[in-house]
Amino acid sequence: MDYNEPTLRGFETALYTGELSGPGVGRGAAGSVAAGTWVQFDVQVSAGDTAQPRIETACIENARFRAYGCPHTIAAADWVCQRAAGRPAGAGLPESVESLQRRFEVPVPKMGRLLLIEDAWAAAVAELASRR
Amino acid sequence: MSGGAVYLDHAATTPTDPRVAAAMAACLAADGDFGNPSSANHDFGSRAHALVEHARAGVAAAAGADPAEVIWTSGATEANNMAIFGVAHHERSQGRHLVTARTEHRAVLDPCRELERRGWRVTYLVPARSGLIDPAAVADALRPDTVLVSIMHVNNEIGVVQDIAAFAAACAAHGTARLHVDAAQSLGKCDVDFGASGADLMSLSAHKAYGPKGVGALLVSRRHGVHIAPLLYGGSQERGLRAGTVATHQVVGMGTALGLLPTGGEANAERRRIAGLRERLWSGLQALGGVLRNGEDAHCVPQILNVSFEHVEGESLLAAIRPHLAVSSGSACASANREPSYVLRALGRDQRLAESSLRFSLGRSTSAADIDTAVHVVAGAVQRLRRIAGAAGWNAQASL
Repeated sequence: MDYNEPTLRGFETALYTGELSGPGVGRGAAGSVAAGTWVQFDVQVSAGDTAQPRIETACIENARFRAYGCPHTIAAADWVCQRAAGRPAGAGLPESVESLQRRFEVPVPKMGRLLLIEDAWAAAVAELASRR
Repeated sequence: MSGGAVYLDHAATTPTDPRVAAAMAACLAADGDFGNPSSANHDFGSRAHALVEHARAGVAAAAGADPAEVIWTSGATEANNMAIFGVAHHERSQGRHLVTARTEHRAVLDPCRELERRGWRVTYLVPARSGLIDPAAVADALRPDTVLVSIMHVNNEIGVVQDIAAFAAACAAHGTARLHVDAAQSLGKCDVDFGASGADLMSLSAHKAYGPKGVGALLVSRRHGVHIAPLLYGGSQERGLRAGTVATHQVVGMGTALGLLPTGGEANAERRRIAGLRERLWSGLQALGGVLRNGEDAHCVPQILNVSFEHVEGESLLAAIRPHLAVSSGSACASANREPSYVLRALGRDQRLAESSLRFSLGRSTSAADIDTAVHVVAGAVQRLRRIAGAAGWNAQASL
């Protein structure tokens, strides 16, 4: 399979892999290795924002991911983490699934992998909210 | 090397030997032997005819056949189709049952499925985890209406070598079942002796043995009195079994390529060299941990090593090594048919391991430096992908 330049760059560099820890971190995952794709996000809001009553308005300070998946999955997850800092946690995925599909030219049969990214992100934010 | 990448995909195809290309070119232009080999009424045709027959003798000698048993085809795919449809149609009054294996190439499986759609019955044998087909299973599968058994000699994905003589004995005991052998991968990798094998039909390919693409042969045993119905009509070429003008340059290329293959002690020395490189590769990859060898070493040709990598996604693995290494993959999205390797699935590998498999196939140009590069590239990719996945228990910093 051929990949476009943003996909190759994101796949080859993948700067935002890893995990975060601390009271302001929420973790969520979607998919499974057995099914071929698994994505996990750690979303961290700034320390001051952890005291806010509504996590939706807390500001994301950092995000990291782990992924077992194809180059499109890894590049898109990395891009989402890269775009996350400074955004409200409740604003949803930092870039829409449709926009990710266009950016990385993800083939239609692989769109489900972007939906897993969206689900994993939502699960991470939900976990953060549930701690409050 | 091509574009900086190490080529370890010789089971897919080999580069045409320059001496082969030169011999082919001499058959094309106006100052060469471009005549129609069927035009016996002038010297242009006679010279081309002589070249075709010289090539036929060369192919026969390389495969242990009689020249009269060689039928030119466009490649092993056509030869397989010719054998399967040819026997099925010629023997249809005798019976409509065939036997093959789940690990055959699609050039065998697809014709069998087409025959099933037309009313034939097909038994698909399941190999052992080693990839070997039990000759007793072949014998057990034979029925009074069985007309053909088709099993490959060297498996294209894992390199396992089947016991053709044992299958031939089972067919001989049956009495009427013919044995067809897809030997597309065999020439140059192991000894091929059509006459001694006991097979009735054998498919050969040129481009797996440093010859050109687009030419192959079907060997049809005369001693066994094998008859097949033709696939093509429109001329009496190839004893009426394969109509159409014989492509002189192509068959000359095949004959030349097979004539250049090492034999005897030279062949054995080359196989030992390749086997040493393969073990160097396996040893290097094994150090990563979580690496499984597909196929049983003792029964495989030395040129092929197929391995699966635990906890590595197949498509990403192939993408990561692609700039540096040309190999084949069992990855679903990387292959044309978008299905994980059915051969590895038939051997009992789960879908993830089938998808994360790589087939390394070594050739005459492969060096120790190529192998070391391959180990370095694959190790880097596997370790990085395991780090991204965060797989607990993997030592991503394992040194090689």
